[in-house]
Amino acid sequence: MASLPKRIIKETERLVSDPVPGITAQPHEDNLRYFQVTIEGPQQSPYESGVFQLELFLPDDYPMEAPKVRFLTKIYHPNIDRLGRICLDVLKTNWSPALQIRTVLLSVQALLASPNPNDPLANDVAEDWIRNEDAAIAKAREWTQLYAK
Amino acid sequence: MSTYEEEHNTSGNSNSRRDLRAQIRNLYQEDGSSTALLQLLAQLIPESMQEELLNEKEEGCPETFIDSLPRVNKCDLKGADACSICCCGYLDDTHPLVVKLPHCSHRFDLECVAVWLSKSRTCPLCRDDVLSHKPKVDISNVELEEDWGMYG
Ligand SMILES: [Zn+2]
Ligand SMILES: [Zn+2]
Repeated sequence: MASLPKRIIKETERLVSDPVPGITAQPHEDNLRYFQVTIEGPQQSPYESGVFQLELFLPDDYPMEAPKVRFLTKIYHPNIDRLGRICLDVLKTNWSPALQIRTVLLSVQALLASPNPNDPLANDVAEDWIRNEDAAIAKAREWTQLYAK
Repeated sequence: MSTYEEEHNTSGNSNSRRDLRAQIRNLYQEDGSSTALLQLLAQLIPESMQEELLNEKEEGCPETFIDSLPRVNKCDLKGADACSICCCGYLDDTHPLVVKLPHCSHRFDLECVAVWLSKSRTCPLCRDDVLSHKPKVDISNVELEEDWGMYG
């Protein structure tokens, strides 16, 4: 593997020395481009008190290309599908090389705080969400209790 | 890892679209000899789609634009100033080659921003369309002149 760009080393150091509240990101010992991530469910969201596992991978072209991020923990959310893939603009068309691992993870945390069923990735979840928001939120809470420990 | 990659690259469609877009763009950019091809394409592809294919944001800036970006003088750089793409201080380098973008004046190492601008038109920091101040070349009205080419 080619040597790790200075930027990735700096970002990793800062993630450890100055962590984002509610978020952890640990590089894998064998692959410093692969991070194990946890995000705490934001307060007053259906994901509150859950701890969600994610994986984050920095492609060779990073930061010209966005990190690849997905949920490993099962989650009921209109913008996250059952494979854990996330519908988030900064991970796709709105990526910029000035964004960082920490800003991406903050965006994911913000997505948990404000699900957007009008821009869905998981269509069935989004339909439930629009049809009966209370029931969908209850289900999201239930899944959080079941899976996000 | 391969499954992970596969799962993240399920949009084969957008890849082939990108190829098509690149091909069409190349045809448009070639010299006058491709005018016939251009006209053929114009007949095959609806105008709305041609425009979409050509104006897609992910297409980068021309090399000439990148080469002409104004340089920032070393004495205008402060000790803490760092490039937001590589996260390195400009003055870590004894001969920093720093440029600023038109309009927004955001600064980057030329080496860093050149790579980004070769595939995007947006400023990494403010998402300003860096080409927006340039007159747009309107190719939708390109017409085949009667007396062109071999009959000329
Ligand atoms: Zn740089
Ligand atoms: Zn800018």
